[in-house]
Formats: sequence, structure tokens, C-alpha cells
Amino acid sequence: MYLYSLTLQQAGGVVCATNGNFVGGKTQEIVVARGKTLDLLRPDDAGKLQTLLSVEVFGAIRSLSQFRLTGSQKDYVVVGSDSGRLVILEYSRERNLFHKVHQETFGKSGCRRIVPGQFLAVDPKGRAVMATACEKQKLVYVLNRDAAARLTISSPLEAHKSHTISYSVVGVDCGFDNPVFAAIELDYSEADLDPTGQAAAEAQKHLTFYELDLGLNHVSRKWSEPVDNGANLLVTVPGGGDGPSGVLVCAENFVIYKNQGHPDVRAVIPRRADLPAERGVLVVSAATHRQKSMFFFLLQTEYGDIFKVTLEHEGDRVAELKIKYFDTIPVTCSMCVLKTGFLFAASEFGNHALYQFQAIGEAEDVEASSATLMETEEGFQPVFFQPRGLKNLVRIDQIESLMPIMDMRVMNLFEEETPQVFTLCGRGPRSSLRILRPGLAINEMAVSQLPGTPSAVWTVKKNVNDEFDAYIVVSFVNATLVLSIGETIEEVSDSGFLDTTPSLSVSLLGDDSLMQVHPNGIRHIREDGRINEWKTPGKKTIVKVGSNRLQVVIALSGGELIYFEMDMTGQLMEVEKHEMPGDVACLDIAPVPEGRQRSRFLAVGSFDNTIRILSLDPDDCMQILSVQSVSSPPESLLLLEVQASTGGEDGADHPASVFLNAGLQNGVLFRTVVDMVTGQLSDTRSRFLGLRAPKLFSATVRGRQAMLCLSSRPWLGYIHQGHFLLTPLSYETLEYAASFSSDQCAEGVVAVAGEALRIFTIERLGETFNETVVPLRYTPRKFVLQPKRKHLVIIESDQGAFTAEERDAARKECLEAAGMGENGNAMENGGGDEEEKEDALSDEQYGYPKAESDKWVSCIRVLDPRTGNTTCLLELQENEAAFSLCTVNFHDKEYGTLLAVGTAKGLQFWPKRSLAAGFIHIYRFVEEGKSLELVHKTQVEGIPLALCQFQGRLLAGIGSVLRLYDLGKRRLLRKCENKLFPNTIVSIHTYRDRIYVGDIQESFHYCKYRRDENQLYIFADDSVPRWLTASHHIDFDTMAGADKFGNVYFVRLSQDVSDEIEEDPTGGKIKWEQGKLNGAPNKVEEIVQFHVGDVVTCLQKASLIPGGGECVIYGTVMGSLGALLPFTSREDVDFFSHLEMHMRQEHPPLCGRDHMAFRSAYFPVKDVIDGDLCEQFPTLPPDLQRKIADELDRTPGEILKKLEDVRNKII
Amino acid sequence: MSTYGGDSWAREAHHRKRRVDDLMLFPSSSSSSRDASFPSFKKLSNGKYACLVCPHNPILDTPLMLSVHNKGSRHIAAESRVRASELSKRNELHKRIALSEDSTGLSSSDILVQQGKSSGFHNKPLIQKTMKAILETKSNQMENPKFVVAGHKTELGTRSSVCDSKHSPATDGIREPSGNDACEFSNSNEKKLLMTAATNKMLTDWHSEFSECREKELKFTSAGWKRDCHGKWYRDENVEFDSDEEDPNITLR
Repeated sequence: MYLYSLTLQQAGGVVCATNGNFVGGKTQEIVVARGKTLDLLRPDDAGKLQTLLSVEVFGAIRSLSQFRLTGSQKDYVVVGSDSGRLVILEYSRERNLFHKVHQETFGKSGCRRIVPGQFLAVDPKGRAVMATACEKQKLVYVLNRDAAARLTISSPLEAHKSHTISYSVVGVDCGFDNPVFAAIELDYSEADLDPTGQAAAEAQKHLTFYELDLGLNHVSRKWSEPVDNGANLLVTVPGGGDGPSGVLVCAENFVIYKNQGHPDVRAVIPRRADLPAERGVLVVSAATHRQKSMFFFLLQTEYGDIFKVTLEHEGDRVAELKIKYFDTIPVTCSMCVLKTGFLFAASEFGNHALYQFQAIGEAEDVEASSATLMETEEGFQPVFFQPRGLKNLVRIDQIESLMPIMDMRVMNLFEEETPQVFTLCGRGPRSSLRILRPGLAINEMAVSQLPGTPSAVWTVKKNVNDEFDAYIVVSFVNATLVLSIGETIEEVSDSGFLDTTPSLSVSLLGDDSLMQVHPNGIRHIREDGRINEWKTPGKKTIVKVGSNRLQVVIALSGGELIYFEMDMTGQLMEVEKHEMPGDVACLDIAPVPEGRQRSRFLAVGSFDNTIRILSLDPDDCMQILSVQSVSSPPESLLLLEVQASTGGEDGADHPASVFLNAGLQNGVLFRTVVDMVTGQLSDTRSRFLGLRAPKLFSATVRGRQAMLCLSSRPWLGYIHQGHFLLTPLSYETLEYAASFSSDQCAEGVVAVAGEALRIFTIERLGETFNETVVPLRYTPRKFVLQPKRKHLVIIESDQGAFTAEERDAARKECLEAAGMGENGNAMENGGGDEEEKEDALSDEQYGYPKAESDKWVSCIRVLDPRTGNTTCLLELQENEAAFSLCTVNFHDKEYGTLLAVGTAKGLQFWPKRSLAAGFIHIYRFVEEGKSLELVHKTQVEGIPLALCQFQGRLLAGIGSVLRLYDLGKRRLLRKCENKLFPNTIVSIHTYRDRIYVGDIQESFHYCKYRRDENQLYIFADDSVPRWLTASHHIDFDTMAGADKFGNVYFVRLSQDVSDEIEEDPTGGKIKWEQGKLNGAPNKVEEIVQFHVGDVVTCLQKASLIPGGGECVIYGTVMGSLGALLPFTSREDVDFFSHLEMHMRQEHPPLCGRDHMAFRSAYFPVKDVIDGDLCEQFPTLPPDLQRKIADELDRTPGEILKKLEDVRNKII
Repeated sequence: MSTYGGDSWAREAHHRKRRVDDLMLFPSSSSSSRDASFPSFKKLSNGKYACLVCPHNPILDTPLMLSVHNKGSRHIAAESRVRASELSKRNELHKRIALSEDSTGLSSSDILVQQGKSSGFHNKPLIQKTMKAILETKSNQMENPKFVVAGHKTELGTRSSVCDSKHSPATDGIREPSGNDACEFSNSNEKKLLMTAATNKMLTDWHSEFSECREKELKFTSAGWKRDCHGKWYRDENVEFDSDEEDPNITLR
């Protein structure tokens, strides 16, 4: 079995982010590392974050930093990864890619504790960079420039100190003095040698300054001082004339200003009033804002509260450190303050957000200061505050993130054309069920009913220079309706259009006149109101029209073509006639190219399954240039011109080319390239779009020509980051469409469907899925489908939180207290916006109040996915938390389908994993599956982490015991068990009489149940220890699994062993045969192995397209979705493995990790081709593409087609 | 040629006798062994002969010695034993075919064949051989009714001679002569069908009863009951039971 691996949805989570000016000019961009991809984001004028570039680097990015050489206009990115190399990247605007400027190898690959890459610190003046490991190693590289102003990098200078752990490293701003780096370090050498543990208890963190002497080219430890043991983060304080220099040390509950030769300035971080006393406050992320005259820091705590930190200083002496409550946003892993007044918050979990500054916290608020710090006998006096709604920030955009995907299932619950992906995402108060549908999201702006069933719709401008459309023209069977676009859209009768006849086409002609083509003629409406009519000769009627701004071609019944051109006076003149052999099915003229008089090509589709390209040149007017035969009569044609461009919005350049698109009656979209000179057709591609013949319309997307295809569902063909993408829209079937532009919506679409007129915009271009979000209460764990009623049953549980009732009570109390305390404020706000206030304090924004860590909350939810309504929510009581569930039908018992839920009471992970009790709850579905009723609960000795139905009974994995339960009157009855599993059972799958058990550390065990002996036997297991995180049953002998190191693998029991086990009627062999070292007698073979580079949490076998082959879909912790598609032919395997091989050689990954080494990080990659690498082929320079194509005996076009084909097989 | 020169007849005569023995051996062996698939001896690669009939498979150096051995009393006794066992085996085979066909109909044989194909019995020659034999006999029986319909008494006669006496009693019944009338023929045909149906039903009843009983027993074993050496049911001490659980000692009595 060979598989093709392809990432369908990129990871949404962010590991680290940095901002700077990477493109050049005045703009500000953000570079975001999402595990193994590097993204370049930029907020556009409307405040929406746009992704300029997204590159897969085939390595784990651990740190990012940005620097600028003095006097330079552009920033560089430094990347610390698991490659054992330091990489410096520069964004190339012309080619829209990151260019690797330097790649310095310093150690082994992989995330190791003494190989640098975990931390990067850059000198604020861009003169040096320090790469630090978690332990021991620190390397300093000197950055400089050569005569040609190119960046140079020195050999590394070592600043190692063994037995030292680093916590945080920054570059200290000391102007143009020697560069200094600061680090929080802990020396454990004594603690390691002292067996009594006394030294370990007394271990002390130090703040150490390292100085790089540029003259001596040497790094020395300049200064080291003990620092608070809770210190975890350093923030650089501006220096060199802009500020006092030094660092802010963020410690538990405190922020301390430190500098060499300066006394500590310490201030306490304000606490939330409802925080338990034993919990500290830690800063998790920081951002600095500096202007010429001032600077301040934003520090975010682990609870999401942002504090503004300011320093009162005179020269180098800091007089006071102030910490003022700023706002509360969801906890971030990285914050970026842009100079343009935005704050980018990369959330730890869930959606990321872009905020705009409304104020910079000048207003009165809770403030802690070093000057008022009080030390009493119990320690420092805390300062309390109450979180409130956003005051200084306002959210203007968010980027969706599925991180973390906890569980996923692909089902077609809504009976749509393609199945939906149901994912459980997020954590704590930000958790949600997200229903993903392949396709682009739609924002419906207006729907209005029309008096009849319209057949077509157009939009038209009054003048070519107008920004917006003036009329919407709707054609019915025997009438035409004209609507004018203004503040509102209303019917008009003075437009000059003939309204007693249906229309075939309405468009702008010349600069400012309008044209209406109806079956009996052409009506030309001049700007001054004069009307010219052209009537069809004899009894012939017009059947098809093609037109652009200056040319019109009509097809009369019988197959006659008449070509008109606009002359200098603005008159439409007949130029040429041409008799076609039969009726014309469709025709189209390309738009007039920039700076030209006319378009050169006319495409005509006939019912004899051919498409002809005719010339419109005066020299050879109406000559057939080329003929293409197609599989079915064409229904609609569209000539799409892709303009030549260099460095557009996304920075990529495209050579000019014309594509002929044809929608055929059998539902296929046919696409070919038209040669600009000869009109010859080449490089044909076809794709099945739906059951109806696609109708094609031109539209505008991001200022560029795009194509709307209306088949049984609408599709959009557009160019994104230099690739042509054809993606479905998540919208109903449409009849006819036109692009629409008004001042409310710049790039919209107006369409007719049924009796309604719809106006919508297309959102989030470039995404594969669009999502519908249903919020949940706690971290979702697992879900199952209630088979009959198609409801979802979800279990959610959280540690260290309060139950809903406790929270409600506490909040009420707290709001009352706040109202009492700030009575004046409450009055000012007024009682009117009570709702807003309620909303402003949403849990999603502020997080749950924290409880003791041994306190669990959990609930079981029954949810109707169609409406998103929760029909039943059972909150578990007494510190119980749900961990597993399944539906089960007990044989010959009266209840029908029951729900089994495995729970644990009082679970603790630290200092040792312990629990008060485990339970299996049995629930009955009542009220047509909408609600649950407890039948009984059975106590068990461990946590039931896996449950599964088996032969009308319930199989449960409780710790290391696999047990079979039957339903009793008052409890579950233990019928049979096997205690021979090595650690903890985390997954159970069954098929016929086989049971596939997944162990937390030891991969899969294949078992068999023998009824006649009432025994469970393990007959095969895996020889490789795998820390299983997800599993799925593929076939009778095969299982797919994923481990916590980011590998996906398939194991298979060999055919002869399987036969032997199935044929052995006595079962003697299973029973008596013993394996070696307590293992099973037979071993499964690993047939597929692939390192995804991200922890896979769920696997499923499914097909995402109707009638497509099944593939294995996986979801990961970082929120990405991927697919593994089995190849069906040996040829494809050969082709793609060669392409992969060439790509590896010609296009090594960006962060310096070897591609093969990355995919084989834990076990050698086996029989999987990396589609993500293959799909980077179009980003190669054309000569390299050609070189690779030559080696493969193909053309680059064929390779692109092949890549497109295999992608279309998956989605 | 003799060592002393001259024509020696003795050597030649010796050869001749050997040759005759050889020739004697083959026809005699072919007549003694019932078919080619089961020879009574085997020629080994070293030119010696092994007797396959005698249980201890004696190895004999020459065909002469083999022929002598074949005439021996021990060999003859062994041969008759083999013949008897073969006969009983064949009877058993017929019995089984009749049973399996009647109880489950023809489809079972298809399933059997399919199973054989799918689960790879190719490496299990015994099973394969049995299956082949069953199949052959069955296909013979399948063809035979056609002759009956054709209505030729002679054919019927040959058929009865083909089918040996061990055939099921139901088919024996219709083999009684019943005149030359075509109408009577059809009558007898119907009668035959009816009777086979009756026997079929009886057999399936008996079979389903058996499997039901087996299923019940399995239900109890899988519910955690065990049987002691007296066939009495008792509860496994590691298994939990409901308060009103059925007792197999009562149910299965």
C-alpha cells in the first residue's frame, strides 16, 4: 500500500510570532510560526488580516526573531528550529517567497536539550544574535554587512556553561556599546550531586549578562545576580538615549526592573479578586511599544489580563515602575504591537485576533506601583482588580484556528453533496464544536423575492469609469425588470431598457452607452437617451450573444453569426457574417485587452460536441483558428484572461495567458490554454463539478478576474498566491449570477435562484473549509453519534474550574460588589446596556475563574447538529469527569440503544496519578433521543478510558484490564476479563469476533473472544512501542494509529497468520502458544510509516468528495487536517516518488531540516509520498520546474495537472 | 558374455526371467490396486521399491522381491484390510453428502467451495481431496434427475446401478418400477419431491434443534457458567450474575 499525504487545512495554532517590516516600505507585517509552517500576515486597509505567504518548512519552528541592520529599510527573520541550524530569511516581494540568506549549522537535528534553537535573542541594533539551548549551550553570531551591503554572519562564539538551564534570553538595549544579552539561568550542578535534596531546594535562579566584545570578538559573562526564583520571562527595556536600558524580569506575582549597577525596582502584579490565595500570577507573553518620546510594555498574565507597564526614569535611573490594568483578552502565546496601531494576539488556543488601540491606557484604572509597594510580615501587600469589558482595545478581525482538535468525524448528517467534518476544538471556555464543509464561506447580504421566476441577471455600470454598478437587470420569461442601485435597490422604468421582452444580454458598450440584446434585436441606448435598434432579418431570432466593451457577436437561430464592432462615433456597425454548420450552443468573446482595439478571439460551442476558436482580426475575420472536440455539448463558455503582473497584492508575478473554460452538459468543466498568437488550444484539463451543466460567469476577486461556475452547487475559480484554485462555495444551487459592486459591498455577486434575488460576498479566500461554530462549555473530549436520531453526544471535562452554578453565583456576587463599589460608574453606564455588560464578561473572553487543581467539572451534552441546539446537558456531580463514551445495544435487553460513559472521580495527576473511583454510567435515550436518563452506574477500580460495544455487550478498558460487561438490573455485570495488557488501554475497536485494543504505550493488541470458553485471548501485538494518541480500524487485519511523537502508521497482521487464527477450530493454538518475553505469539507488521510533525489526535477513514475513493483523514493538536490517499496505480507511485525525490534535491526545506530526515524523524518513512512537498513544485522558478519535468520526461504543465488531479481525488 | 567365452544362456535366461517378472509385476499391481491414484507400491529414487499396502512399508530391492512379497500372506491380509477400510470410508462419505445436502440445500456446498477457495485450503491436501470428492459425487447426483425427467426406463436402471444401496431410503422408494406411462412418471416425480421435502424438513428440524441447543449452551458459557465433570452447570466465581439470571441446570434439562 502506498499513500499520498496531503495537508487539507493548515495548522491554525501559533507557536511564536514576531512583527516587523519585512516587505520594505512603510507597511508592518507579522511573521507567524505555526509549528511547521511559516506565514507572513499583514492587516489590510480594512483591518482584515491577509496571508501574503504561507510556506511549509518541514521542521519544527521553535523560535522566531526579527532584526534590522542599522540604516537598512527592511527586517530579516531569524528562525530557530529543530534542524540544528540557524536560518536567516529575507522576504522577496518580487517572487513572493522567503529567501534563505544564511544557514549556519551548529548541532545535531531534533529538539534536544543542549542543541540551541529554543531561544533566540537579537541585539536591538541588529549587530548580533544569540541562539540558546534549554541547557548549557549559547552561541553568539555577529551580524554585519559587506561592501555590497549584503548581510554577513560570523562563525559562532561560544558562551556555554554546563549544568545550567536557561529560562529566557533577550538582547539588552545598550545603544551602540558592545552588545549585551541577558538570560535567566539556573545552575543545577550542586543539586545534581547532593543526594539529600537540600541543594535542590536551595537552588537559585540568576540573571546573567553576557557581553559580546566586538573588538576582541569574544563573549564573556559580564554580570550575574540572584533573581526571584519565580522569574520566567525577560523583557528588554529601551536604552541608548531612548530609555534607561536594562531588563524587566517577570516573576510570579512581580515585575522587577534590573540593570547592572542599579537597585531593583519591584512592583506587584495586580490580582483578580476571585483568584484563590494559593495561586500566583505569571506573565506569559509580552510586547513592547516604543515611539520616539515614550515607550511602554504590555504584559499578559496566564489569566488573560493585560497590564501596561511604564517606567518613570531620569536618564539611566529608574524612579518608579507602574503596572496598570489595561484590558483582558484570551490568553496569548505571543503579542505583537504594530506601529500602525494594531495589536495582533496569537491565542494559545482557539481563534487569534487583531485588535485596534482605542486608547493607550491613559485613563484611571487599578494600578500597582513600586512606590506604593508595601511589605508586611506576610509578604508584599497584593493589589486587586476586577476584569471589565474592553476599554483600550477593540477587536477588528479574527483568524480562525481549530487548535486543538480533540476529536473528529466525517459524516454526511445533513445529506448534502459532500460530507461534513465535525470537529471538537478548543479548550476550557473557548471550546467549540465546529462543523466544517469543504468550500468557501459566503456572507449573504440580501435576499429579496421577485414577482416571478427569473431566468437571468446582469449588473451594469453607467460609465466605464464608475466605481459601482448602476443597474441590476433581471430577465424573466417574457419581461425584463430593471433595478437601480443606490441607498436602496428599487425598480426604475426610465432606464431605456425594453421591459416587455426577455433579455439575452445587458452590458456596457463603449464608454457610456448601454446595450440590451433581446431575441428580436439589439437595443443600443446612448448616454444622451437616444436609442438605436437593430432588428433581426426575417423570422430569425437571436439565440446567443457574446460581447465585450467594443465587440458584439450574436448567433441567430439556424447557426448564423453576425459580428458587430463599435466605430469611432460610438455606433454599432455590422462587420462580418459567418454561417456555422449547425445551431450555436454558446459563445464568448474575451474582454478587450489593455491598450488594444479589440479582442482577437471568439469562442463558439456547437451541439456537435466541438468548440471552435474564430479570429476577430480584420485580416482574417471569422476564420476558424482551431477546433477542440469535447465529450458532451458545451453549455457555457468563458474566456478568462490572466493579466501579466509582477508583484501584485500577493507579490507573485504571472505571465499573461488566456484560458478557455467550457461548461459541458455532462457537468464537466473543461479548461484549456489559448495561445495568444495562433489561437491554438493546448493543455486541456477537465473536472467534474456537479450534476448540472456548469454555467460560467466572470467575476472579480481581489481586483482580479475570476470565474463563477454554477452547477449543482456554485464554484469559484480564482488565483490565490499564484495558484489557480477551483473551490466550491458553501451555498445553495444558483441559476444565474453576475458580479456586483456597490458602496456597501465592493466585490459581491448577485445571483438568482428560484424566485429570489440574492446578493452575497465570498469570504476567506484560500481556505479549504468553512466552519459553523457551536460553543461548548468545557474542553470537549470525545463524541459519538446517536445513530437513530442523528444527534451528537459530547463529553466535556475540565480540571481546576468551577461548575456552572458555582460560577453563576460567584459572578452575581462579584457584579453586585462591583456595582456597590463603583456606584458612580454603574450609574454612568446606565441600566440600558445590561446585556452588553453581560456579554462583555463572557467566559470566552475572560476565561473561567480558577479552582483548586484537583477539582473537576464535566458534562454530557446531547446536541442537535442541524440547529446547533443543546437538547440535554447533564453536569456531572461530585468531582466526576467523563473520559470515554460509546453507544451500546445490549442483546435481548429491552432498552434499545444505550449510552455508556466512563468517568473518574477525584482524578489527580500530581504528585502521583490517583483517583477516588472510576465509574461506568449507563444512560437511556428518552424523548426521541433528545434527552438522557441514568439507568445505573457501576463502580470500577480505574478510569475507563475506552469503551466499545461487542457482540451485544460492553467492552471496557479499565487501566490495564480489558473487561466484558453485560447489562444487569442494577449494575453492569462483569462477565470476562483479560489482565495481560502492558499499561493502560486507550482505544478499543471491534470487527466480527476480533477486538483491536490500543495500549497507551505499546501500540495495538489483536484479541479474540471465545464464547465457548468465555475467554479473551491476545493473539498478536506490535513489536514497536508506540504511545498511541489515535487509532482507526482499516480492515480485518489492518489498524491505523498515531503516536504522540507525531507519527502516523499502519500495522497489518500477515495473511497466513490471520488465516491460521481464523481456521483453527479448536483455538488450541491461540490458547497455548506463548510469545517471547510476555508478548503475544504473533506480531503485526508495520506497512506504512510517516512523520506528520504534529500530534495526531483523531483518525478516520472517509471520502470527502461524492463518489471519491476513501482516504484516511486526520486532525492534529495544532488544528490542521490532513489526508492519506492510497494510490491505485503503480505508475502514479513511480511518478510521485520521483517527483518527491527531485523536489527534495532541488528544493530543500526552508528552515534547514532535511526533508527525508524530518519525515523519518522517529522511524524511517515507509510507502508514503509527501504531497505537501510535491505541491511546492509550482513555487519553483520556471527553469527549475522545467529541469525537473525533463528528468521525469514530462512538461511542467503535465506535472501541475497531475498534482491537481490527485488533489481533486481527495477534496 | 560369459567370463569363459562362448555363448552362455544362463545369464540371458536370468535377464529374461527378470524382465518377465517386471512385466508380471505391473499388470498384477494395476489389477490389485483399485485405481491409479492409489498404487500399491512406489518406486523410490534409488531404484528400490516400497510396498504401500503393508502398514510398515517394507522396502524391497528388486521387482522380483516385490512380486514375491506381494504373494506373501501378510501382504494379502494387509490388502484386504485396506480394501475394507476404503469401502467404509466411501460409505461414510455418501452418508455425509446426503446429510449435508438435505439439511442445508445446495447453497451450503457453494459456500463450502467458496470458503475453501477463499481461506486457502490449497496447502491442506486432505481437506482439498475430501471436498473434491464431495463435489464430484454431488454433481453426479445433480445430473441424474435429468435422466429421470427424460423418461427412459433404461436410463433409470443404469442410474440405480450407479447409485449404490447406501443411498438415502427416500430415493430408494421411487426406484420401484412404476409402469411405462408418462403420466405415472410425472406422478412419481412429484411424489419423490414431496418425500425428499419431508425428509429434508425432518433433517433440518433435527439440525436446527441441535444448533439451538448448542447456541443455548454457548449463551450460558459466555454468560459465565461452567460445567463440571458430571455435566452439571456451576457459576464461575470470577463472573458476576444478575439476581434473576436463568439457571442452565433447569433450562437445559
